[in-house]
Amino acid sequence: MATEAHRGPLAPTGGPRVERSWRPTLLGLLGGVLVLVLAAAALVQVRQFALLKHSVASQDDYVALGIYQVEVEYYRLRESFLRAQKPAVPLDREALQLRYDIWVSRIGLLRNERTARLMVGDADYEGPLHMIDAFIARADEVLGTSRPKPVDAAALAALQPQLDALARPIHSLSLSAAHRVSEQIAERNQAVRQHNQVGLLLTGFLLLLVLAIGALALRQMRLLRERQQTLVDLTAHLREARQQAEAASEAKSVFLANMSHEIRTPFHGLLGMLSLLRDTGLNARQVDYLRTATESADHLLTILNDVLDMSLLESGRLTLSEEPVDLRELLREVESLMRPQAQTKSLALHLDADPGLPEKVRADRTRVKQILFNLLSNAVKFSDRGVVVLELRRVTGDGGGAQLEFVVTDTGIGMDQATLARLFKRFSQGDESRSRRHGGTGLGLEISRSLARLMGGDVTATSVPGEGSSFSFRMPLHEVAPAKPAAPQTAPGAPTGTGGPGPLRVLVAEDHPVNRQYMEALLQGMGHEPFFAGNGVEAVQALRERRFDVVLMDLHMPLLDGVGATLSIRALPDGAAATVPIIALTADAFAQTRERCLMAGMNDFLAKPVSPERLSAMLRRLFGGPAGETEATRSLPSSPTTDLAPPLLDHDTIETAQRAMPRERLAYLLRSFFEQGPDLVRRLRVALRDGQALDLRVNAHAAHGAALNFGLTALAHTAQALHEGATHVPAHEVARLIERYEQLLQRSRAACEAEGLLDARTVTE
Amino acid sequence: MLCLLPWGMAHGLQPPSGRVVLTISGRVGKPNVADAAQFDMAMLEQLPQHSFSTSTPWYSEPRKFTGPLLRDVLAACGAQGSTLRAIALNDYQVDLPFDDAQRFDVLLARLLDDRPMSVRDKGPLFIIYPFDTRPALRSTTYYGRSAWQLKRIEVR
Repeated sequence: MATEAHRGPLAPTGGPRVERSWRPTLLGLLGGVLVLVLAAAALVQVRQFALLKHSVASQDDYVALGIYQVEVEYYRLRESFLRAQKPAVPLDREALQLRYDIWVSRIGLLRNERTARLMVGDADYEGPLHMIDAFIARADEVLGTSRPKPVDAAALAALQPQLDALARPIHSLSLSAAHRVSEQIAERNQAVRQHNQVGLLLTGFLLLLVLAIGALALRQMRLLRERQQTLVDLTAHLREARQQAEAASEAKSVFLANMSHEIRTPFHGLLGMLSLLRDTGLNARQVDYLRTATESADHLLTILNDVLDMSLLESGRLTLSEEPVDLRELLREVESLMRPQAQTKSLALHLDADPGLPEKVRADRTRVKQILFNLLSNAVKFSDRGVVVLELRRVTGDGGGAQLEFVVTDTGIGMDQATLARLFKRFSQGDESRSRRHGGTGLGLEISRSLARLMGGDVTATSVPGEGSSFSFRMPLHEVAPAKPAAPQTAPGAPTGTGGPGPLRVLVAEDHPVNRQYMEALLQGMGHEPFFAGNGVEAVQALRERRFDVVLMDLHMPLLDGVGATLSIRALPDGAAATVPIIALTADAFAQTRERCLMAGMNDFLAKPVSPERLSAMLRRLFGGPAGETEATRSLPSSPTTDLAPPLLDHDTIETAQRAMPRERLAYLLRSFFEQGPDLVRRLRVALRDGQALDLRVNAHAAHGAALNFGLTALAHTAQALHEGATHVPAHEVARLIERYEQLLQRSRAACEAEGLLDARTVTE
Repeated sequence: MLCLLPWGMAHGLQPPSGRVVLTISGRVGKPNVADAAQFDMAMLEQLPQHSFSTSTPWYSEPRKFTGPLLRDVLAACGAQGSTLRAIALNDYQVDLPFDDAQRFDVLLARLLDDRPMSVRDKGPLFIIYPFDTRPALRSTTYYGRSAWQLKRIEVR
């Protein structure tokens, strides 16, 4: 079937290929015939040439003349004879002799071989010759050279009858000669005509041959053109087919991406409800059932994530979102998650990090964890005893670049060569029974390796059956410089562990009732006050009417979606409402979505399903530690405990400034600066909202310069941080910096007032 | 008389003493009788003799011809022109270009195989081209110009 389909569009070439095999023979044949024809033409030419040469050599026309001359001279002789016999005239022997000799010489010519050739076989040739010879024999007695007898009329009279008798034979000889010559000419003409005809035939044949060859050439060209056209058609056909295939693949990816959200949403509802159920007071059996249900749900979620990841990887749409990652923190997280699993199987779990490793690296935290979880859970899954070790070290890659290497080693059942070979192929799971028991999609290793390769690294494995396996995950090492001192302290004196900010008014914009219930439970459990909006329009309206501390915004909502609502909120006239922190709740994983959120002015993301830990961590980040920290306490000059916070006022600079200008002038300038402060803050916020990094930089730079001149160090530092971070620091960080600037502005102003720098004495402006 | 003849040739043509065998008329510079130059056989014998053998259409085998060069004969009587009309005893006539005598060693033969030619033998004089020496002469034109039984040449 396949071969037929393959040959289908190529069928036309089957024909010409057959023809080509006897094409040379045909051409050879034509060539041979051509040569023959040319040879024949040459032959004709040669024959004609020979014919003409022969005619020149034989001189037949002159032979005829010779024969006529005999007759002419004969009559002259006879006339001389008669005249010589006239009695009145004296005999002119000389003249007669001459006449006779001339005639006889002509007779001699009759005898030569040319004449003989012309007249051969003619009866009228031999007869007359004999008679002539007889006469000459007798006449020579009188007129011959020896001259035995005298020449007189009587002797001539005796010869006369014999002479007369020669008239008719000589005449017929002439006529015969004439006929013969005419025949010869006719023959020659005929021969020439024949040659001409043959020549014409040959020419005609040649013409045919030329036409035939021309026709063959034309045919060949036509076939070539046809074949070319077939190729062109085929190419177009293939291109079309490929486009269709690509379009289909694209459609499939889009479908999958859309479906992922649709699948996940009820899912999260399910998971959320299950987790809430846990806290509603269940008996042991119910707890057991719940755990099974939760495990199944988790497993299903894993499968879903794997499938989505696979689809993204295959279509090349999976993008990594790199950020500075604290390696040790990452390892701790991984360890804490894997420990329960290891403990269940009585396996020891060791983590070992090379001390020379940098503190922070650029990496996609989620994906790195995903790979590590995959490798570690495999190690745990396939080991019944012993220890699972995760080592992290710095190595040099093949290209010479620095790499991070995570090595997961176990003392499990190991794998044989065959299994190793199939390892990274999808759906191949080393030990079928074990996999079935422990679950798994079979996609895990393939995804891990694809992700690693996407990062610029790889995942490789070695194993000894019965002893254990070792998986090595390598990725390029990109160190991140330690954080700048000017980076804002989120919470001076914030506690490290439990607790969170005081009760917050949280607006949750979420269209799914199940999810709303879940968030309500979650937030209330943390001690916050949740409020709800069912869509974007309601959310914006809520912000118009009331103050909230933070907004959790679902992206997909009817009427107005998360992005649109954010844009509207940021455009609110009320500054406090417009700058409320907005956190996106999103189920889909595309980088484009994140970008859109940032561009709209959202501050951060939370992936759905929302885990309580992550939510509280985020709120902590935004609002600091436990309740008790009020605005008042925070506006005090920075305590020495936070040694990285710069002082509000630098007195040296102030003194310099005071020396440079009159006190009143400085006061006026300071006052102007503080009066323009809020305006600047507004401009900064607008620049952030609109994504105008340049505006941000320009304004921040101006503020920095001014603040530095006045010795407002803390302010200057913040402005500096804004200026430098405008392009690459995440939007929510910038927002925080702007807020800090605003706070510092107020504190600096208070400090200046306290020191009497703003006193206006005499103002002469 | 005989010994004086060569000297006589250089300065003028003596009239013939024997039977006239050739008369050259027309544009003749040194006539010896009226306004023509007449030669007898002795006068022709006095001129430098040449001979060659050649095959001809009139004899089946090659024959040796001997006689003075035609151009020498023409020079002897101061003949100058563009055409020579050769006329034979039987009133056969043919035109030759004057140049032929200069270009080719055309013989005015008087001996055939070292024997004088009688009228019967196509004598006494025969204009012969060197056919064997020059293949170009073996054509009808030149055969036609080879007049035998030569009687007279008119120089035009």
